[in-house]
Amino acid sequence: MKVPTLLTSGLLALALTGCSSSHDSSAQTVASPEPQSSLPTKQEASVKKPSPDGLLLKSEQKGIIPVTLEIPAIGVKTDIENVGELENGQMGVPDGVDNVGWFEPGTLPGNSGSSVMAGHIDSLTGPAVFYKLDRLKKGDEVVVRGEDGKSLTFIVTRTEKYPRKDAPIEEIFGFSYGSRLNLITCTGEFNRKAKTHEERLVVYTELKGQAEEG
Amino acid sequence: MNYKKLAAIPLSVSLLFPMGAIANAADHSGHGTTSMAVSNPATDLRATLDSILSEHAYLAIVTMQKGIDGSKDFDAAAAQLGENTDELSAAIGSVYGDSAGEQFKEIWSSHIGFFVDYVKATAANDEDGRQTAVKSLDGYRVQNAEFLSKATDNRLKASDLEEGLKMHVDQLIWAFDNYNAGEYEKTYEGITESMMHMFEPGKGIAWAITDQFPEKFDNQSVDTPAADLREQLNNQFSTHAALAVLAMQKGIDGAKDFDVSAAELNANTEDLTKSIESVYGAEGAKQFNEIWSSHIGYFVDYVKATAANDEEGRKKAMANLDDYRAKQAAMLESATEGRLKAADLEEGLKVHVDQLLAAFNKYNDGDYDGAYDDIHEAYSHMFGVGTMMAGAIVDQYPDKFAGSMPADMPKTGLGGMSQESNDSTVMWIMTSLILAMAAGAVVIRKTRTEKN
Repeated sequence: MKVPTLLTSGLLALALTGCSSSHDSSAQTVASPEPQSSLPTKQEASVKKPSPDGLLLKSEQKGIIPVTLEIPAIGVKTDIENVGELENGQMGVPDGVDNVGWFEPGTLPGNSGSSVMAGHIDSLTGPAVFYKLDRLKKGDEVVVRGEDGKSLTFIVTRTEKYPRKDAPIEEIFGFSYGSRLNLITCTGEFNRKAKTHEERLVVYTELKGQAEEG
Repeated sequence: MNYKKLAAIPLSVSLLFPMGAIANAADHSGHGTTSMAVSNPATDLRATLDSILSEHAYLAIVTMQKGIDGSKDFDAAAAQLGENTDELSAAIGSVYGDSAGEQFKEIWSSHIGFFVDYVKATAANDEDGRQTAVKSLDGYRVQNAEFLSKATDNRLKASDLEEGLKMHVDQLIWAFDNYNAGEYEKTYEGITESMMHMFEPGKGIAWAITDQFPEKFDNQSVDTPAADLREQLNNQFSTHAALAVLAMQKGIDGAKDFDVSAAELNANTEDLTKSIESVYGAEGAKQFNEIWSSHIGYFVDYVKATAANDEEGRKKAMANLDDYRAKQAAMLESATEGRLKAADLEEGLKVHVDQLLAAFNKYNDGDYDGAYDDIHEAYSHMFGVGTMMAGAIVDQYPDKFAGSMPADMPKTGLGGMSQESNDSTVMWIMTSLILAMAAGAVVIRKTRTEKN
């Protein structure tokens, strides 16, 4: 805004001063006998309101409540069940052998930390949803769709096998600054006495970054 | 549990060998209690980084305001920001070596320099200069992300770091531009947001360091519900101190943003009240809100009396603050069922009140270096307060702070595709099923017998 004359600028200053002391608390009306300079501040005369366009101002929660999982490389397209922790301390598993169980007490896919999903390798009679999980390679995509229809793509970073009683729980379920989705199934020999496979397979994935998109 | 153990963040420069919590508490909080669930070497590291990083955001915003206003305390604010950089660089150096610390300091200081360029260009109405500063800040983001990603062996990914650093830069520019445009609501919301944001990289860096050197941190995790509560309270309490100091300065200066700064301080009280409510319910929260708000009112009285050269008024405000301390201490002792002792609390609250008054008086007397030293003390002190409160709460309601990790891996296979013959599997399963049913029958029968 252009300040036309000295006279109006003086009036403006007066108006500003009057306005500010009437709505400000008494703290500063007594505080300083001449609180404002006789000139209107340059800011109010000429500075336009800043635009938030293109600025990253608040942490947006990217996390979604997962509903379906797709892994194109091994032909998986399935529904997600919420699972928790069993009485014996184990992570729960989905009721359906063709479904995947998301560890619901943990992290939402897309948030900082490790979201974990588990699926069966086989049923009593044949292959189950994660039968081919061990074929995933670094760079393969894992797509999770949320309740709200939004989908997030994760990229496989590595695959590890652990003895069933000696897996690094903290690493699989714990915090990370970035967003991870870790997939678990069974592998190794089936121990008939313990009624479970001897090893666990963990496929680690990370959220596809903005730079990698498009 | 040893309630005599005092909690405070280790403000020592060495993150890898943090001093015991007790050593530092003697000079800082001088009160309180904690539980090991809240304070351990890993969570202390997280709190230390949160404290330094969030104070950086605060001091940077304040320094930019003082810069554009040409305020007399600009140099002191800038110097305090520099000390904060020293503290952070020393901390990084303690983990990754002195030369890494130096390298970090150079990179980190560069971004402060670019903010200064931005302020100067703004003052000179030099739009090109502003754009140049923004471009330099873009370059800084890449450089700092690369440094931290390399230092942490890629535990912190450069792309994630760049996003976090973008938010920090954008928030500071936003708070400054709005201040300059007289958009004070956005300015002060921005201050609160940008301090809170720094707790994210604080947690992230602490996580990466503890993951990299687990044995130096008793193999403890930075990510527990108890630690999250501690940092939430640390954030809210330290924001209180930061905003209180600023509002008192704006008040005595008769600044145009005084009202808004005071409103933001009240918004912080509402945030704290919500935290209290989530633990102690609506009644406890209401009580807390009334008592806590009263002490803010007494600070305002003190500023007014100072402005009016009214010594009686100042004394009265101080007497009211004494009265407040007793009430607040009694309330918290009762809420925590004696986990926090009123006498300890009163002492801690006295430290808080004295620090704020000293910071204000020195500012008013023109001792700006002294004022910013006190502001730093007042800010850091609040991390002891948050830790102490969290310690009591976690001890009182341990069930609310159970971890969210299973103890064991899932059982994700039934053996149908295993190498051995499926026939025998089926046989085996049939046998188990029959056995299980038999066992079930026994249980059912037993239950029935008991019922009869």
